Amino acid sequence: MKKSWVLAGILAATFVTLVGVGHAASQSAQPAVQSDFHWKLPKGFPPPKVPADNPMSDAKVALGRYLFYDQRMSVNGAESCATCHRQELAFTDGKAQAVGATGDSHPRSAMSLVNVAYDAVLTWSDPGETSLEHQILTPMFGTHPVELGLRGEGEAYIKVLRADPKYRELFAAAFPGEADPFTISNVAKAIACFERTIISADSPYDRYHYSREDSAVSESAKHGEVLFFSEPLGCFRCHGGFNFSDATDYEGSRRRGVEFHNTGLYNVAGPLSYPLPNAGIYEYTHRPEDVGKFKAPTLRNIALTAPYFHDGSAKTLSDVLDHYSAGGRTISGGEFAGDGSHNPNKDPRIRAFQLSAQDRADLIAFLNTLTDETLPHNKTFSNPWPDAKPY
Amino acid sequence: MNREMKLRSSVLCTVAALLCATIPPAQSVQAPAVEFKLVVTGDVPTPLALTASDLAAMPRETVEVADQDGQKTTYEGVALQEILKKAGINFGSQLRGKDLAGYVLTSAKDGYQVVFSLGELDANLGGLRAIVADQRDGKPLFEYQGPVRLVLPNDKAGARSVRMLEKIEVVKLRK
Repeated sequence: MKKSWVLAGILAATFVTLVGVGHAASQSAQPAVQSDFHWKLPKGFPPPKVPADNPMSDAKVALGRYLFYDQRMSVNGAESCATCHRQELAFTDGKAQAVGATGDSHPRSAMSLVNVAYDAVLTWSDPGETSLEHQILTPMFGTHPVELGLRGEGEAYIKVLRADPKYRELFAAAFPGEADPFTISNVAKAIACFERTIISADSPYDRYHYSREDSAVSESAKHGEVLFFSEPLGCFRCHGGFNFSDATDYEGSRRRGVEFHNTGLYNVAGPLSYPLPNAGIYEYTHRPEDVGKFKAPTLRNIALTAPYFHDGSAKTLSDVLDHYSAGGRTISGGEFAGDGSHNPNKDPRIRAFQLSAQDRADLIAFLNTLTDETLPHNKTFSNPWPDAKPY
Repeated sequence: MNREMKLRSSVLCTVAALLCATIPPAQSVQAPAVEFKLVVTGDVPTPLALTASDLAAMPRETVEVADQDGQKTTYEGVALQEILKKAGINFGSQLRGKDLAGYVLTSAKDGYQVVFSLGELDANLGGLRAIVADQRDGKPLFEYQGPVRLVLPNDKAGARSVRMLEKIEVVKLRK
């Protein structure tokens, strides 16, 4: 299985060369010329980093939105980006493991795209995947698993785009001056621009904190916030900052590197303590001490993003609290049996703590205040196709 | 109670004590409705228990702290040095010799602690700016921050800006 992931990586890397979307170039993000584009950033949100070779523009955002919702991007017309990133679920899919267009099951849970512009790394466990323009190629062309399943260099897909009058209009506007704007590179750039605009910060938490509406959250949630930011629980140490993730980056940030965490979810017998293929960043570093280390994702919109963890193995927030309050998860039987609290790579900040029933309810009340109720209905991010085809 | 019952009881108490010692409890849900007092204690000539009114009556300062988005948040409160002076700690030319082996241990309600040396707080030595803030943009602090917190506007990160500050203890290692 490991070999197949390497092959997928080689395929993606090969394609990068072919289509000219430089991963390294995109990594060296610099303040970009914003052309006609203006960020509409909420209070507390800094300007996102934008790669110098793909500055934001309204036309690229518009094109990217159409592409994002277009099922013709998949080999059999069954799926689009929006299949696994559904707006009503904060751009996740509600499944423990995503399913590709041809039925392949992805080993991990689809991540939310909300505020993805601020993600210092994009996936659960690839420390090198920092460019949206590059990452998009994996669902498009990856074969292990097949997600959208485009073949070859995407010639058939490009042909479909060229034939659509709407796309002829949109590509010309998004990439003016290009003799032939119909390229996979431009598809990736446009989708990345659209995804960077999916910024959400109209939650009760935001109204309480940034607009100082003291009645926006309940007293229970306020006490839950005290617990969240307290020394014994220490949730904020990995889920801190305006995006509630320590893997956050933005213009002017002093971030140095990204930390990945083993939270003691598993401790299976054998050479690796986490069930394959989800061994965390070990998959890339091959260092034994990296087994089980994953990104701490944003907690924003968490009421919409169940199930939780990299493999969707926690169905509810209460399950999540069971795990953390025990200082690790114990699985008493089956192939994954083991006491995660004794995982040798467990982050030392994951320690058991006591929660009363009221504390637990308060903490969940606080977590729920991080959900933006306007997000599922925000027309800026919705399917733009006139017939709003199902995805 | 026979001997066996006593033994059982003793074992149970020991287990309970060990559990309490190893698993930190979350803070109690229903905080007692008593007036908050910031305690200043330890090696000070005049121990204090400062109420909100006491802090309001002391010399006030404001500091601006920039958020990630560049927007400024204004904190208002009393300089930590002023509070220490009120407790009888000397600064300036009178802070010398053995005093420089003294430090201030600040403790939060949730157990978080940060130490500052007296020397780094002195305007003529370290000159550290540290405010015991009770207002944020003209309103009381959020519950997870207050009622009072430290604000260190010149620190590069927030780790020493103790939230939910409840005790300031002076320790003089050489007396």
